[in-house]
Parts: sequence; C-alpha cells; structure tokens
Amino acid sequence: MSQTRPGLAVALLALLALPASAAAGPQTAVEEPPILAEAVAAGTLPPMAERLPEQPFIDRMERPGIDPGPYGGRLRMLMGGTRDLRQMVVYGYARLIGYRSDFTLAPDLLERIEVEDNKVFTFHLRPGHRWSDGHPFTTEDFRYWWEDIAQNDMLFPAGPPVVLRVDGQLPKVEVLSETAVRYSWPAPHPTLLHELAKPSPLYLYAPAHYLKSFHEKYADPKALKAAVKEVGVRNWSALHTRQGHLYKNKNPDAPSLQPWINTTPPPSERFVFQRNPYFHRVDREGRQLPYIDEVVLSIAGKSIIPAKTGAGESDLQARYLRFDNYTFLKEAEKRQNFDVRLWKTAGGSQVTLYPNLNIQDEVLRKLFRDARFRRALSLGVNRHEINQVVYFGLGREGNNTLLADSPLFEADYLTRWAGYDPEQASALLDELGLTERNDDGLRLLPDGRPLELIVESAGESTEESDVLELIRDSWQQIGVKLFTKPSQRDVFFNRVFAGKTQIAVSKGIDNGLANAEMSPWELVPVRQDHLQWPKWGQYHETRGRSGEPPDLPAGVELMELYTEWHNAMEPAEKQRVWKRILEIHADQVFTIGTVSAIPQPVVVGRRLRNLPKEGIYAWYPGAFFGIYHLDHVWLAPDEDGKN
Amino acid sequence: MLSYLARRILIMIPTLIAISIIVFIIIQLPPGDYLETYINELKTQGEDVSPEKIEFLRQAYGLDRPMHEQYLVWIFGLLQGDLGYSFEFELPVTQVVGDRLWLSMILSVSTIIFTWIVAFPIGIYSAVRQYSLGDYTLTFIGFLGLATPNFLLALVLMYLANVYFGISIGGLMDDKYIDQPWSLAKAQSVLEHLIVPVIVIGTAGTASLIRTLRANLLDELQKQYVTTGRAKGLPPLKLLFKYPLRIALNPFVADIGNILPRIISGAVLVSVVMNLPTTGPMLLRALQSQDMYLAGSFLMFLSLLVVIGTFLSDIALAALDPRIRLEGRADK
Repeated sequence: MSQTRPGLAVALLALLALPASAAAGPQTAVEEPPILAEAVAAGTLPPMAERLPEQPFIDRMERPGIDPGPYGGRLRMLMGGTRDLRQMVVYGYARLIGYRSDFTLAPDLLERIEVEDNKVFTFHLRPGHRWSDGHPFTTEDFRYWWEDIAQNDMLFPAGPPVVLRVDGQLPKVEVLSETAVRYSWPAPHPTLLHELAKPSPLYLYAPAHYLKSFHEKYADPKALKAAVKEVGVRNWSALHTRQGHLYKNKNPDAPSLQPWINTTPPPSERFVFQRNPYFHRVDREGRQLPYIDEVVLSIAGKSIIPAKTGAGESDLQARYLRFDNYTFLKEAEKRQNFDVRLWKTAGGSQVTLYPNLNIQDEVLRKLFRDARFRRALSLGVNRHEINQVVYFGLGREGNNTLLADSPLFEADYLTRWAGYDPEQASALLDELGLTERNDDGLRLLPDGRPLELIVESAGESTEESDVLELIRDSWQQIGVKLFTKPSQRDVFFNRVFAGKTQIAVSKGIDNGLANAEMSPWELVPVRQDHLQWPKWGQYHETRGRSGEPPDLPAGVELMELYTEWHNAMEPAEKQRVWKRILEIHADQVFTIGTVSAIPQPVVVGRRLRNLPKEGIYAWYPGAFFGIYHLDHVWLAPDEDGKN
Repeated sequence: MLSYLARRILIMIPTLIAISIIVFIIIQLPPGDYLETYINELKTQGEDVSPEKIEFLRQAYGLDRPMHEQYLVWIFGLLQGDLGYSFEFELPVTQVVGDRLWLSMILSVSTIIFTWIVAFPIGIYSAVRQYSLGDYTLTFIGFLGLATPNFLLALVLMYLANVYFGISIGGLMDDKYIDQPWSLAKAQSVLEHLIVPVIVIGTAGTASLIRTLRANLLDELQKQYVTTGRAKGLPPLKLLFKYPLRIALNPFVADIGNILPRIISGAVLVSVVMNLPTTGPMLLRALQSQDMYLAGSFLMFLSLLVVIGTFLSDIALAALDPRIRLEGRADK
C-alpha cells in the first residue's frame, strides 16, 4: 500500500473509477436483450434499469479492438465431465474483487473496498445489486455465510477456512449496513484480496434467502427432513452444501452472480447456461452484459475433445487441447469456421525435476542437499535440444522461475546454472568426490553404488517421458544414469511425501506471472505437495506436529523471507523479499526446470469478437478466459444475418 | 428337473455373496480412496483443497469407517434396492445410470443382430464350401476384422463419417437432441450415429462367430448321419438346417450367459474412444475415480446378469439338445 504513511491509517486500495459520467448512466433507457424483451414487456421481468445495481460495474473496454456488440447468440464449448461445470464460474469470473487483464486488482461485485494497514477490510456492496433470481444481494448474505455456515459445526466442522486465520486468529466480522461489511484482524492479512480474486475463490457470502430453507436453524424441520430424503443425502448439512455450492455450480435452482446460470440438472451430456438477467456489469454504452444469450457445454471424453474441436463442434476451446494437437487443429482450420490462436501459458517450467531433499536414503540425501550436485544436474540438461525436439523450438529454455512478463523477472534467474555445460557439470561432480567410475562410465556413490537416479512421475503425460528420455541421454555424458518410473498419482504423492522418491517429475510453479503483491508460497517450504521438500512443507502445514523443520540455511532463510513478506507494508519491501527468494532459487537450483512458456492452442470461432489475438491462458492468476471477460464477447451475425 | 432348478437358484445366493465381497475388495484395492483421487486431480489443475475440508468430506461420505462396515452398509442398501450414492455425480446411482442403460441396450442389441446377420450366412457358406475361393476370401476379411484394433477402426471411421457425411464426432445423437423428448428426427439422429459403433464393435465379434460356426459345422457335416441322410435323398438345405446346424449352435446357446451382461456394459474401449453415452465409459470412470458405490453396484448388477444368463443358457441347452442329461451334470 504505497499511500500508507505512519499516522495515516486509511488507504483506499482501489476506488472504482467514478461512474458518474452521465452518458453511460444506467438510467438512460437502453434496448433490452431481445431474448428478455418479451418478459419485460409482459411485466414478468423488471426493465434493465431496475435489474441493474444503482452503480453497475462499467466495462470501459479500453483495450484496443474491444468494442460494444449486439446481443444474442449461443456459444458452444466442450467439457470433460459434470465436474467441469465449475469452469463456468471460472470463465464467468464474477468475483468480489478480481484481476484485470494486467493482473492488478479491481473491485467487481463490490463497489469499493477500504483497506487499513492490511488489517481492516471494509467491503461496500453495490446498492440494488441482485441475485439471478431477483432477490437483493446484501450484507445479510455475508452474515449468513459467516454466522450460519462458516461457524456451523455441521457445515464447517473444522471451523471457517484456514485462509481466514492470521496467526491462528479469526477475523472480527461486523455488518455496518445493508451494503457494508467489515473484516478485521489484529495482524496484517496481505493475501485476503488475492484469495477473493482466485479462480476458485474464497466465498464470504452465500444466497441466504435460498439456503435458509435447507438450514436446520431456519427451515421447517418436517419439510427439511422430506427434502433430505428426497435427494437421498445423509443429513441436512450435506443437502445444504450440495444445494448451495456456488463454485461447483451444479444446482440449477441456486441463485448466482455469474454472467450465465446453469439451467440443466445433472446428469446430462449437455448443459445449457442462460444469461443472468440481473448481472451487474454494463458495457461503456450502459447496456447490460453479457452479450451472448446462451452458453452450451457438451460433455465429451477428454481424449476425444481435440477431435471434436477439429470437427468444428466448439466455438471457444482451450481446455483439454494440448500443444501437440496444434498441427491437427491448424489443418482443420482450413475446413472449419474457426481460427487457432496460440496463447502464452504462465507455468514456470513445463517439465521440472524435483530432487527430494527429504529422501530417506542417507547417501543420496547428503548429495541432494549439496547445491553443487543440483547445479551439476541442471548444467547437464540440454534444454535447447528438448525445446527443439519436443516443442518445435517455441518454448523458453531455462530455470523454473517467473516469466519475463512478470515485473519481478530478471534474466539471471532464468539462466544461472541453466546453460548446457557437461564439462562444468563433470567438474562439479568431481569436486564432490564422485570421481570413481564403473565399467560403464557411471560415477560411483561414496558407498560404492553406481549413481543411478530414479525419476518418478504420476504416469499421465507422454510429454514427460519424452523429455526424460532426452535428459537421460545428456546425463549419461556426465556419468549419471537416469531411470524413469511412471506410477499412479496417489502412489506418486505418497511416495514423495514419505521420502521414498529420489527425484519427482512434474510441472513447475503455476504462477509465473507473480507480482510483489502476490504471495510467494510456491517458492517457500510451506506445503507438503512441494515435491522438493515435502517434509518441510508438512512441518509448516501442521504447525510443527509432523514433518521436519527446514534445516538447510537456504530453507531457513526462505521461511524467514516468507514471514517478512507477510508483515511487509511497503511494495518496495515486498519486492525486495521476492527478489531475494528468486535469487536463492536461481542459486540453489532446488528444482531443475527445462522449458517454459509452451503455447496453448486456443480455438476461437470466426464469428467471435472481443477476445484478444494474443493472451495468457493460465489458471492462476488468469482464471483461463476469466480475466478477458467472456461477458463482453459477442458473436458477429452469420451470412443469414442471424445470431 | 424341478429340484435341479431349485438347487441352481439356491446356489446363486452364495455365489453372489462371494462376488459382492470380491468386487468390494477389488474396488478398494488401489491405494487411497475417492477423495484422495479427487483432490489430487484438483491439485493438478491448480486448485486447492484444505486438509480440514478433506477430513470433513471423508466423514460425510463415511470413508473414515472400517472397510467391513462400509461393505455392510452397501450390501444392506443393495438388498433394499438402494444402489448407493455416487460421490462424483452427487446423485443416487440409479439416477446416474438412468438413460445410459437404455442407450447401451440399443447399441448392444443392434450390434448382436448385425453380427448374427453377417456371421451366420458366411459361417455356413464357409463350412459347406470349405477351401473354396469364397471361403478363403471371406475368412481373410474375417481375420482382418479380428486383427484390426477396435479403437483404431473407430477413429478412422469416425473421421471419415465426419468429413464425408457430416456426422458429428462421437456420441449417439446430435447435440441438439440431448435431453429432448424422443421424436422421429431424434431417432434418425441416433440411427445415423449407431452405424459406426455397430460396425466397429461388430467386426471383431463377427470374425470369431464365423470361425466357431464354421468349425462346429464342419465337424457335424462329416458325421455318418449326414452321409446317411444324403444317401437317402434328403434335400440338401433341409439336411443342413434340420440337424447339423442345430447342433453347431450349441456353443452359442451356452454363450447367452455372457451376452446378457455384454448388452448392458457394452464395448467399453470403443465407447470411450467414440464418446458414447453408454454405461461402459461410466463404469471405467467410476473405477478410475474410485467412486465405489457407483462402480460396486454396477458390477454387482453385471454379475447378477452373468449368473442369471448362465442359468438360462443351461436350461436352454437342456431343452435344445436331448443328449444333455441333467442328472449327469448335476453329479459333477
């Protein structure tokens, strides 16, 4: 918070750009979406001005090539299963506060947010904002969630979500008015707003008016019992969770705040989402979004989705398309009515090796914990060859670190110990005393075993095995033998956690676009599923009950930096902490990255407008298409002039 | 005969109990449970589930209880006709299976009819005209069908059907008919989409059927009664159909036990490749995600069909072939 000076407590995090510019005011009578016009004329649906909040979210459409469009049409997409219904919450990306396309935060459902010292957060709702069923969206929905859901033993037996705890303390929640609610902690909570902006967000609200009929405290016991029986669940809490899961998005009856709402009850092979008539965003001319009336999700096997996409059965598809489908799709582009675009991905490294610092084998543990050994392994990887052979040279070679698009990026993080240099690698290994070799030229460990490293994978990606095959060849030259062992995901994780896996292979960090305001959790030992230091992570996660504390100086320093980041107020300080963390990673080579920024094929129907030619396709912080606001995407009329 | 039937029916009970135990154990054999699989899958997509949430779900689903307890809950539910609850779909199993059962039956019955229509004439022809040019040609084609991997054929045909006939890839009907009431247009769409899977699944079955029929018939045709009949001047077709063919059919009748469950479960691999909304892919998915009640109940249903099918085929065999003596078999 740059504005925060000592003595000045209040810093406005982000004020909504003043919406008073009268021309765009929602009061002006504007055309109704044709699909709703009849209902409005018949009086069954209020006119647009009454459906919108008093101050709607105004989509300024400032990026070049983004223009207002006509209403109507249907967008078809392919999904892999009922579980993917949640993708509509991800793509819809209506959040209390969300990322803009430049990854800075801006209020969305909220009108504005006041933040004091990262400790006191006051959320101001938009007066007149309504759920998709027309019921007002007010602080009662926040109170209901906090008091009757999060603190209910049956619904949240372990108490409210951990992310709401700061040093173990829960916030004080005060409802100030119908449109203002305050969360305050005694210590700073720098990640709260980011949690709210995540693709799978922290929900602080729930549709109280709808869910009360499933809540023990409010519902008529007889009716509730009957409802529980009818649905066939165990008890009322299961029913409540099932009916009110805003993120899973399966229940067509549940009110929503997203641009499109599900109308098909599962199970089905085809889900139809219809426009939310009360959606809170308008375009710069004051017309309510979304432009597109209907989104249809067809469920298909994951493996057949590229083929179906190539047959023109999707208007917007990136999910389940992989880079190696690109040539097939490009060929189909000639016959079909779509373009294939290549978007950037945000991962730090596509295929990444994780030497396990918590391995049980003592000889190997000693080696893995020596930075020189990890550096040698990294120098022994021919990244250029991998890039050319597997990715047609389109990737970026280097360490598992942030991408160049991140404001924290420095070239050195990418390249240090990442050039292909077998001689230097051999020299480092010699320096470690691994000079003895057997007849095959393999180095011998101090206890006489040959230096054979087993790399285990979750066994789902042929890409990983291709890359490992190439690494095997180049490691051979420095006297290290690599074996691959595909396993099964559950087994894979459990073996890593137990320290049985020598080296794990998986994706690198997810968020290669981080800025200093985002938590550096992916780079510090705070999680068990960090494959390079599972026990350190477990130690943090369980607050010392199990696992092991970090015992390498670099690990200890990372943890100190993590605490420092949490307490930092000034952006400059946060940036310094981040850079130091990245610096440590570049120097220590905790993970061995290969190639990153592998393009993601995105198939876009030719009639689709307002979707950028070049974009970033990422789960976090991008919410895939979420930050590009699918609600302002529209369909150009086809030859018949129809939509 | 009656006491034989009663005994057969009684034996089914311990058989089914044994099957249920084995099914349940096998489903539980892979490490972890539904939740672990689910959570790991979420994690690979970058999503996050907190440990306390996992513990809560485990309790809610009853996964924290010992295995025998879970088994008893399941089996008593089954006895009362409650197939259990699918974790993945968050719906009772009966609702999940729903329409898929009918579509599977349509697909399987069409496939079986297709197989028989193609295989019977060819099988008989090959046997009667053994080592003729026709026999060799048809046998060659049959072997081709047997040797081509189903999924490959499925992919190739699907691609061609899409490019040349504009039939949408995968599925059993055009998108717009899904969840719509049945109509002529919908039925037509289903028929269009049936052609490729029926051919693909049928080809492999056809080849083996041709070979079995040919071999059985050849055995019979060389027997003395055929020679005698021919010598006495029986018309050739009557001579063929009245006796040798009937006996050659025995193995197919014995096979009814297998056909019943196949009608329901369909060809899993082809259905997965072609994205057919049948029960096969559902079962596969349930097993992969360890959605144990869905998988377990469905497997139990299939086993029940096998047991009943075997029973039926035994009775049918006895009725068809007077040489089969019930007493002799019951002694075994």
